[in-house]
Amino acid sequence: MTAIATPAAPPRRLNRGLRMTAVGLGAIILYTIALWLALTGYVGLPIGAALPVAVQQTVNALSIGAIYALIALGYTMVYGIIELINFAHGDIFMLGAFLAVVFTGGVLGQTGPVTDILPLFLIVGGALLVTMPIIGLLNVAIERTVYRPLRNAPRLAPLITAIGVSFILQNVAIVLAGTGDRAAPQVFPLDWQIPVGGARISVLSIFIFVVALGLMIGLQQFVTRSRLGRAMRATAQDREASALMGVDLNQTIALTFLLGGALAAAAGVIWGLRFGYVKFDLGFNSGLKAFTAAVLGGIGNITGAAIGGFVIGFIENFASALNFSRWSEFLVFMVLTFVLIFKPTGLLGQATGDRA
Amino acid sequence: MRSTRLTAIASTAVLVFAACTSGGGTATTAPATAAASGSPAAGGSSEPAGSPAGGGDKGTLKIAIELPFQGADKAASDPIKNGIRLAIKQAGGVAGGWTIVNTDADVYDDGLNGSYDPQTGANNMTKIVSDADVVAVVGPLNSAVARAEIPISNEGGLLQCSPANTATDLTKPPDSAKYRPSGKPNNYIRVVTTDDIQGPAAAQYAYETLGKKSVYIIDDTTAFGKPVADNFEKEFKARGGTVVKHDAAPKTTQDYVSIMTGAKALNPESIYYGGVTSTGGARILLAAQQAGLGDVPFIGPDGINDGSGATKDSFLNLGGPAAKNAYSTLAGPGTFDQKDKFDADYKAEYGIDATGYAGQGFACTQVILDAMNRAAPADKASAREALRAAATATDHTYNLIVGDVTFDANGDTSQHIVSIYKFDAAGAGGKGDWKFDTQVEYKSQ
Repeated sequence: MTAIATPAAPPRRLNRGLRMTAVGLGAIILYTIALWLALTGYVGLPIGAALPVAVQQTVNALSIGAIYALIALGYTMVYGIIELINFAHGDIFMLGAFLAVVFTGGVLGQTGPVTDILPLFLIVGGALLVTMPIIGLLNVAIERTVYRPLRNAPRLAPLITAIGVSFILQNVAIVLAGTGDRAAPQVFPLDWQIPVGGARISVLSIFIFVVALGLMIGLQQFVTRSRLGRAMRATAQDREASALMGVDLNQTIALTFLLGGALAAAAGVIWGLRFGYVKFDLGFNSGLKAFTAAVLGGIGNITGAAIGGFVIGFIENFASALNFSRWSEFLVFMVLTFVLIFKPTGLLGQATGDRA
Repeated sequence: MRSTRLTAIASTAVLVFAACTSGGGTATTAPATAAASGSPAAGGSSEPAGSPAGGGDKGTLKIAIELPFQGADKAASDPIKNGIRLAIKQAGGVAGGWTIVNTDADVYDDGLNGSYDPQTGANNMTKIVSDADVVAVVGPLNSAVARAEIPISNEGGLLQCSPANTATDLTKPPDSAKYRPSGKPNNYIRVVTTDDIQGPAAAQYAYETLGKKSVYIIDDTTAFGKPVADNFEKEFKARGGTVVKHDAAPKTTQDYVSIMTGAKALNPESIYYGGVTSTGGARILLAAQQAGLGDVPFIGPDGINDGSGATKDSFLNLGGPAAKNAYSTLAGPGTFDQKDKFDADYKAEYGIDATGYAGQGFACTQVILDAMNRAAPADKASAREALRAAATATDHTYNLIVGDVTFDANGDTSQHIVSIYKFDAAGAGGKGDWKFDTQVEYKSQ
């Protein structure tokens, strides 16, 4: 668990940040080049025309990857701290997406694109500011009422309970919104695109990536630097010992659920902007992918979950870019299977205690 | 070992979760059925459509309705249900000396979690067959559901008329034998034509009328979407067109934007979608718009022709302005001699315009009532078989609102007409609606 590593001195941490940025950029550039070659060789696009497409697809991959990563963080944090695979987390994301629709469409009355920057900023920022705390608190409430009484129960009990909570949340959505797709107002103008040498990079994609990255860096900083973050790491490492040292367990676990729920809600806001629809079972498939991302990255590891989300985004995008999208889920789960066979702890995971 | 155990439990948990979802969903079906058939929006009158005091002195028999009433499918099913009830009402609720009714208890919903579900349909059909008062069933909407239902209705010898199934294998040998394992005589007829006509007719329209020489095809991987897209592809190629790619995306797909960006890279002149709204139609349309394919014609089968922009959950409602270049087909005539009268009667009864397969729902019921009049069974025990034999007779010409029709030995209609609809931004009070464009009597090349 990265988060648990002994806090390094500030200069080393800076180096580490720079190194991760370099590795990340390198991976993105490598992916673009790989896709470029594949588009030329497999799809048969002319080499000049394939590059802008590859760039655009890389940006798409980063967008969907950011959504998976934000959801995956909630899975991984909760697992890290109370060893619970919170299957209701995907549905928390779904409710976040619905709440964002209610806020922008219902409360603010927006249905179409908003082309002025300031109002657009206020609407999207407002949706994030309203949705994240509400959904975060909902997640805390679920923890308080449902999971806390089962904290010392055998592990399967909270797991099954989480599945039950998932059904409850889905059915709440069905009662409130019905079983069909619901149109989500795409307030972000989709024709805002920056031409980059033939490629058209949508401003929305950049916005999604920047927001997601900002939230992830903020979370990482919070967990590694703040006093509450230290309490979280201590609790993850040894719950009883940290309680003995004066860490308020209930408060720390509630905080974990708050952060996880808020990040999932942010992913929900982004989802509506990008795909223009929400549905009650959104949380199932997206949640499954995000859970896969968390396992792929090494469950319990915050950086791992973020990286896992982007990796899944890239795999899916690769299949779509080469026009064999029917195989995208197959590819995702095949990669997961192979990672688990050869590195059962996930990409960044370390051998943990007897958990799960 | 420890990490292996983590993996095992994690994967078990995923499986348990998946299993529970399908299991748990079933429980929601029953209340949803009641809600769908009970709400006024579900189809106007909640009174029985027949007149209980009417002239049928032999007793009362029932026509059952089996359609999906959830999510986007509800938008397609409601007009059919209305059409069926209008036909019963106009016949005075009497045929062959019997009182014919369809009450809300005879309306079955095969929707599950917002989309049609074959297993739910099969369960419904078992219930329908076991109801001795039911002599005929109208439905289902989706071919995949029909595949699960026909073996049961065939075994029970119950006349089934579908107003919307277009999959070819339901009726044509040798595939059709698979769905009639009991080997009993045919009980299944349909008033729409088949996908080996619907798909090619759309290809003919795209290539000849719209003049599009290349197409990107995407289907929803279902038993309906893939074959209709395959038939489109075959015809489009046969006419000399280029299919830049035939891709597929199941309804669980998350990121349609990447898929359509991949499509955009191939520069197609048109897009054909094989599938229905509830399996991703409007999502693909929105993604296509975002990927820069907004000005390219988007053509789909009857699965996306499910109501106007004002209809909740319909393709046009979800697509919004992105539907500006959308086209759809219906596997039956879009205009017919009695169309104006039917539209006026429908509007007078339900206060809304007749859309989608409303006329086909009416026509199915006409077939049943006509056969009932000819068979005029003497008692309830023989009614089902007498009606089935009379309805499937190949030598009778039915005078239906959609035209004069005979059924062949497989139960397919003699009418090979496909109508093409185009998006009309001014329709439905500015919310956009399908506007009848033309109809083609498809002749294979």
